[in-house]
Amino acid sequence: MTENRRQILDMLSEGKISADEAERLLTLLEQPASGGTRGSDTGEGRKSSPKYLRVVVEEDGESGSERVNVRVPMALIRSGVKLAALIPGDATKRMNEKLRENGIDIDMGNLKSEDLEDLVDALADMEVDVQDGKEHVRVFVE
Amino acid sequence: MILPPSLLRIRIRNKNTSFSLWLPLFLIWPLVLLAMVILSPLVLICAVLLWPMGLAKPVLLTGPSLFRLFCSIKGLEVSVEKSSERVLISVR
Repeated sequence: MTENRRQILDMLSEGKISADEAERLLTLLEQPASGGTRGSDTGEGRKSSPKYLRVVVEEDGESGSERVNVRVPMALIRSGVKLAALIPGDATKRMNEKLRENGIDIDMGNLKSEDLEDLVDALADMEVDVQDGKEHVRVFVE
Repeated sequence: MILPPSLLRIRIRNKNTSFSLWLPLFLIWPLVLLAMVILSPLVLICAVLLWPMGLAKPVLLTGPSLFRLFCSIKGLEVSVEKSSERVLISVR
């Protein structure tokens, strides 16, 4: 553990990774230790569930670099879905129709908090990394 | 136990000015509690009235769900930077 931490700090001092990336890696290193206590609650061998959804957008323009960094707690997404589950059936139908009109074919009535837990667990392995010229978009969980 | 957010930090920095604002959200906790106590009998009456229409459950659960949503905001952070300008909104 200490060796890994030192490697990350070395990479940071050499400028191979940014401070944000170093922070993320250090957080990932700490996760197994904190996940051990949570493991007894959620079952053996299960990974600790991610806490935050991160969206990072970086752009190196002519007028200088732009950076957008958003950190959304997973608990907020969970609470939002639970709140959405309380929407009455009629309203859900109307929402679905409007979404379909706009090309989004999602049945809001099917969004259930039980399914969301599996989805959030699956998100732990997800990382979207898109680079187009000077623009860089990353979506990941931590 | 889930606690509501206690601090909202807003930081704005540009070429000329830079300031950081800490809003003590914990000061509104008593007000939220008071509103919950006052509204709970009304919500209960509404739930009883809307029971035949099948809307009692959403009416009863909306309040706690909104409170949970409010508590879940803790940890939200939005940061926008452009050269020497920066806006940071952080809920703690």
